[in-house]
Amino acid sequence: MGYDTEYDALVIGSGIGGMESALKLGDMGYKVLVVEKEASIGGKMILLSKVFPTLDCASCISTPKMGATAHHPNVTVLTYSQVEHVQRRPDGGFRARVHSAPRFVDPARCTGCHLCEMACTVSVPDQFNGELVARHAAYIPFPQAVPQKALIERAGTSPCTFNCPAGIKAHGYVSLVRSGEYDKAYDLVLETTPLVGTLGRACYAPCEESCTRSSLEGPVPIRRLKRFIADRHGAARVGTDATDGRPGAAGAKRVAVVGSGPTGLTAAWLLARKGHRVHVLEAAPEAGGALRLGIPSYRLPVEVVEADIANLTAAGVEIETNHPVGDLGALREEGYDAVVVATGTPVPARLGVPGEATLEGVHSALGFLRDIKLGAAPDLSGQVVAVVGGGNVAIDTARSALRLGAGKVHMVCLEARPEMPAHEWEVAEALAEGVELHDTWGIAGFSGQDRVEGLQLQRCTSVLDEQGRFAPRFDEGTRQELPCTTVLVAIGMGADTAAFPDLAPDGARRFVVDPATHKTPVFGVFAAGDAVTGPATIAKAVGQGRKVAHMVDRWLTGRPLTGFVGPLPEVDRADVLARQHNFTRHRAHDAALRFAAVPDGFEELEGPLSEEEARAGAVDCLDCGVCSECHECVAACPADAIDFDMRATDTEVEVGSVVVATGYELFPAELKPNYGYGRYRNVVTGTQMERLLAPTRPFNTVLRPGDGKVPERIAYVMCTGSRDQTVGNPLCSKFCCMYSLKQNQLVMGALPLADVTVHYIDIRAAGKGYDEFFEQAKAMGTNFVKGRVSGISEKANGDLVLRYEDIDNGGRPAEAEYDLVVLAVGVTPNTGPAGLFQPGELAFDPYGYVAEVDEDFSPGATSIPGVFVAATASGPRDIPESILHAGAAAAQAAAYLEQNKKVPV
Amino acid sequence: MRDAREVVREEPYFRDRLISLLAEGPMTVPELAAASGLPPEEVMRWLMGMRRYGRVAEEKEPTDDGYFRYAAVTRS
Repeated sequence: MGYDTEYDALVIGSGIGGMESALKLGDMGYKVLVVEKEASIGGKMILLSKVFPTLDCASCISTPKMGATAHHPNVTVLTYSQVEHVQRRPDGGFRARVHSAPRFVDPARCTGCHLCEMACTVSVPDQFNGELVARHAAYIPFPQAVPQKALIERAGTSPCTFNCPAGIKAHGYVSLVRSGEYDKAYDLVLETTPLVGTLGRACYAPCEESCTRSSLEGPVPIRRLKRFIADRHGAARVGTDATDGRPGAAGAKRVAVVGSGPTGLTAAWLLARKGHRVHVLEAAPEAGGALRLGIPSYRLPVEVVEADIANLTAAGVEIETNHPVGDLGALREEGYDAVVVATGTPVPARLGVPGEATLEGVHSALGFLRDIKLGAAPDLSGQVVAVVGGGNVAIDTARSALRLGAGKVHMVCLEARPEMPAHEWEVAEALAEGVELHDTWGIAGFSGQDRVEGLQLQRCTSVLDEQGRFAPRFDEGTRQELPCTTVLVAIGMGADTAAFPDLAPDGARRFVVDPATHKTPVFGVFAAGDAVTGPATIAKAVGQGRKVAHMVDRWLTGRPLTGFVGPLPEVDRADVLARQHNFTRHRAHDAALRFAAVPDGFEELEGPLSEEEARAGAVDCLDCGVCSECHECVAACPADAIDFDMRATDTEVEVGSVVVATGYELFPAELKPNYGYGRYRNVVTGTQMERLLAPTRPFNTVLRPGDGKVPERIAYVMCTGSRDQTVGNPLCSKFCCMYSLKQNQLVMGALPLADVTVHYIDIRAAGKGYDEFFEQAKAMGTNFVKGRVSGISEKANGDLVLRYEDIDNGGRPAEAEYDLVVLAVGVTPNTGPAGLFQPGELAFDPYGYVAEVDEDFSPGATSIPGVFVAATASGPRDIPESILHAGAAAAQAAAYLEQNKKVPV
Repeated sequence: MRDAREVVREEPYFRDRLISLLAEGPMTVPELAAASGLPPEEVMRWLMGMRRYGRVAEEKEPTDDGYFRYAAVTRS
């Protein structure tokens, strides 16, 4: 919550009414706070083409007001902000809570150059152009916006990104693939980890599990898109140009990373990108940890891991294999400024059953998988193999045994199949390949003298205790013998605490760190990854590496060990789905796996996506968070103004009075389904026609949205949603007739050959010069047809047939055909102010507008003393009337402030 | 008609196809729709989005049928 601030008046809304009230109060010497929910002040008037009856340019009139408001010495403007609550104090003043949304662009740095907008990869309908054209998620609202500063629309963090434990901007690279920017997509993943190809194959893809598209026809193939960009990247380009710092630069710090699994490699990569000199020390003969020595090649080919590791070496990271580290203190003495220990969980868990260590043929699965990857695979031809365990390592082990020629492979696990730790799809694939599952069995013992001949199984009745801890229980009366010649134990793994006892004091089974900073009890030594968390997924290990790199860099550069900013809250998937009226069913993505009844090799199972498949998969993305975090704006911004770490702020303000100038809402034309708005391509609203006629129009001229044709026959349907009991709006909206007459004249100016017809009930042109304006429209050639339009239908070519009552010709039903139909939509109340005060405190009239207690003699006064309503928040008004009324509201507020002098000024 | 949000979202996907067709010469929306096999109202949305960000530009005068032709803009 921000600090308290004091103003004489709070003006809510900055349309022409709000600006007028603010300027009048400011000119009187009062301090005014204007709060505007949009990113620019100006309201609806700035989006108009011209004003009636003078046909003056709306922008030319509005922009000076906007500039005066923004720069008035007594007026403070908060855009992209909303008043959430207003509470009246006993002394007659008010306390208001203002929520300011983050723009994610530093306004002090932004020069309004639009480069971020040009680079942005996400398109959304432009609300400032009647959704007739796209804008980007990074945008400046409109050409005359005040402030003329960019912002980035973010609804939150997209579920795919939010649920990535690695912190990879999944939505970002999907968006870049959709745009065909494959190298940029690859570089975006490199911002988090060098393991692009590895994760593209071996990650369990929590991004896809959380994908909003899952609730339609299936997730976007996010993981396989990552594989696609990694495959495209290939060996030719190894990431040197993606570094943002050169290792070994003057003043660089030296860092030793012990262990080269996903945590160590990620930490090394990110520290090198920060400019540190990084050495990775690996005890095994090959770098990569479990990626290189644990995961079978049919899931993760060795060359993919090696290509990822090449990213590090190209960036200057030195990797030394066969280099076990036993003394962390010695590393410090060797000149390393910091040490990151990321040695994973290389120690296999044991069954603790007699014979496990002595019988020939009983092995740990970890050693078995490692031997395969090091070219020392055992020959299992004809062997009957029993794999003990129900996790993913057990699955890998069983499927590898099949590939080594085992005659039969059994899996024995404590859990029932639905509770197995392995992913269900992995279990299914293993069974499809021929593995035989024996679930709910524990190991009571081994059979055999010198060599294992079988497993003695006993029925497992439960795996976890009441507190959810691992505490298996058995029915010792239910036993079974499972003959086998080889047993591979895959029941878990742990950190090598014996190698680094200082990191695991008091007999801890994992390395002990400060969870916030990753500092260990040893000075200058940090630890992360599975050795700290216990066995986890590759993505989680990468996330650990990313975090520890951040902390080590800050520690090395003398900064506080903070600043690891988490993502925005996850977008609600229901909100994402609610944004659209309908969805097209997109393409199904074939898993493209190849199964063999008897797999005989370690060839990769999953096929790649073609370029067409990749882009077609990416286009299914719903842009849940709106901005994808592709970071193209960051790269494009010459002022370094983009700041994704910005967050919303809440401020409490003390004010002496309140002016509600929240304006109106447009009637939603979809509520007149017989007119076809939203279904027919060439039916638009009067507001959309304003944009088509405006100098900053969305098209190059007035065109049909359906096919870009210059329309020659244009119809206006008056009173759409006004004076219409069928939609619950009996009021006349007061200015639709006049804006239609204005548009008639502008259309005829823009399209001299166009025929314009107005279907009306009656024309209301009361006001100085208004009736003359009507006559002028007639004189220019507008054709007026009296009678309601009953319905519209669309022809195949997009032309529209209107059915109407022709009153001037006896009231007969008639039809007419047009190229374009404009619905002169009316207005409805903005109900937003209702939520600002205590329920029932602010009175509303029967139509839903803010009620004036005496609109004849005390215009603007509401049911709350000190709260005044301005302009169209109190009812339909045109621009001159709105300005007049806003001035009255300002005068009322000033009078209240003078009467209530004790309120701080 | 498909939802406007969905159509707009697909512009980066269809952009390359439209640009490659326009490389053969300026086209109207109906011509581009016919050549690409895509609905004209969707081509219109994508084309106007591309125009906004400087990827295409219209010719000065419309055709006798009342359509403007649009050409791809060569970006340096």
